[in-house]
Amino acid sequence: MNPRLWKERATILILYGLTGCGCLVLAVILTTVIMKGAPALSGEFLFEESRNFGSEGGIFYQMIGTLILMAGAAIVCLPVALGSVLFQTEFLHSPPLKKMFRFLIYSLNAVPTIIFGLIGYLFFGVLLDAGVSWVTGVLILAVMILPTLHVSIHEAVESIPDHYREAGLALGLSPGQQMRAVILPQSMYGMVTGTLLGLARAAGETAAIMFTATAFSGVQLPQSWTEPVTTLQTHILVLAQEATNPKALTHAWGAGLVLLTLVFILISVTLWIRSGMEMEAER
Amino acid sequence: MNKQPLFPERGPAFWLTGLAAAISAGTIGLLFVSLVVESVPVFKSEGVSFLWGTDWFAGEVYGALPMIYGSLMVTGLAVVMVLPFALGSAILTSEFLSGRVRLVVKAAMELLAGVPGILYGLMGIALLAVWVRDLFGLIDGNTLFTAGLLLAVMILPTVMTLAEDALRAVPGETRDTALSQGLTRMETVMQVVVPQALPGLAGAVFLGLGRAMGETIAVMLVIGGIDRIPQPWFDLFASGQNIPSKIGREAAEALGFDLQWSALIALGLVLFVMVMTLTTAGHFLLRKAR
Repeated sequence: MNPRLWKERATILILYGLTGCGCLVLAVILTTVIMKGAPALSGEFLFEESRNFGSEGGIFYQMIGTLILMAGAAIVCLPVALGSVLFQTEFLHSPPLKKMFRFLIYSLNAVPTIIFGLIGYLFFGVLLDAGVSWVTGVLILAVMILPTLHVSIHEAVESIPDHYREAGLALGLSPGQQMRAVILPQSMYGMVTGTLLGLARAAGETAAIMFTATAFSGVQLPQSWTEPVTTLQTHILVLAQEATNPKALTHAWGAGLVLLTLVFILISVTLWIRSGMEMEAER
Repeated sequence: MNKQPLFPERGPAFWLTGLAAAISAGTIGLLFVSLVVESVPVFKSEGVSFLWGTDWFAGEVYGALPMIYGSLMVTGLAVVMVLPFALGSAILTSEFLSGRVRLVVKAAMELLAGVPGILYGLMGIALLAVWVRDLFGLIDGNTLFTAGLLLAVMILPTVMTLAEDALRAVPGETRDTALSQGLTRMETVMQVVVPQALPGLAGAVFLGLGRAMGETIAVMLVIGGIDRIPQPWFDLFASGQNIPSKIGREAAEALGFDLQWSALIALGLVLFVMVMTLTTAGHFLLRKAR
């Protein structure tokens, strides 16, 4: 038989093999988290506070802490990201300045998250005097997810067809009215997907908050601006280091499963909205 | 054409959005400036030997070489291990799978790229480190190799989707021409599509590398946390340390204004320069590919 055909088949087989291995590894990861985490889940686990250094009780306040940090970050970040995108697209007409702005955002996206923790603590923790607290965490995460929101909103605004803007201009709208009537409604999905991705990123982040915003035990709801919270991420981190205590480890997997579910829901909704937009664009 | 004024109208909308833009640009600027300024003290006291000193004892001497070595080693390992799988599956998905399957694969990869690092860390410490220990007969499973392997798994989805995008960016006519010349599908892919997509593929790998190099939490749990270069230097089954893990371990105790804090920030600066080089190269190559 034709040797070229053999080579062809062999290579395709190798490709399938490589892809299969890759998929297998990722499938193993997901099933491991589910299999190991599921036994820990129960009403008590979800709605009680943790006791005995995480080996008993539940993860209620950890979930609340994660939600506070990620929601806070998104609330702080969204107006800033939206405003700076609009300024960049509507008011900034000099190409070098635009380019510089984009470069700043891209380089922020490249910053390793642990550096946000270091520098963020310096500014928010020391200069603002918030110390190790949830406020510090919220602000650090808000800076961290800025590129995610910025890029997503920017893409949405850029993809508004020119004749929409022209119609607005022809009606004599001022830039402010133009934003309210044309640009914001037309780029809403970018805001939504960007915010969801930002939330997912903030929820999954550990390094930036582990020494700036969280404490391990004895923490409930923060009562003031300068109190730390406890989060799922850091809870898992501490429990994982006690890898010898099987009960603590089970709780770590359980918390991991909850965190993974949260992140997956956020990303899935983003993908779903985005694929809907694409379908509409194809029509 | 008339030259447009820099800012056409200065209503409230201008000032509001301008304020937001100033906040974000200012924050980013401050971040970079303070990264440099805060690391000055340690460079002043240690000189260049901060970069190639091999000893790090908090309060006495700060040498970052073992951490730099660890970062490079772990990232290099990760890329060697991830390359065949990421590129193989990218080629298969882009060139041989049907449109619908392709979309499903892409969505799955985007989901997986979002799995929090702490979960990989948990997996690494509870399972992978134990497997590595038993498989290679080591005393301690927390090694440079374990960290590299874990990072490879972590960046697989990122590299794969970006590489797949790069392959899809090669126009269909190119494939048709090659096929019409009598090349088989595989020959078309290997001799025509891949060479054309090469800058994009390289860009994908560079971005993945950047992510791997900056990852803290997963590596911190499995790398062993010993600040030394193994003897001999290529012994991957020894414990080591990389930059993010070093910062993560010491930041809580150094919180403040000491020289140790400055040393950690200087480490951060070194890390940032390395990651930034990789990502800038990656973005440049990706843009060139389009």
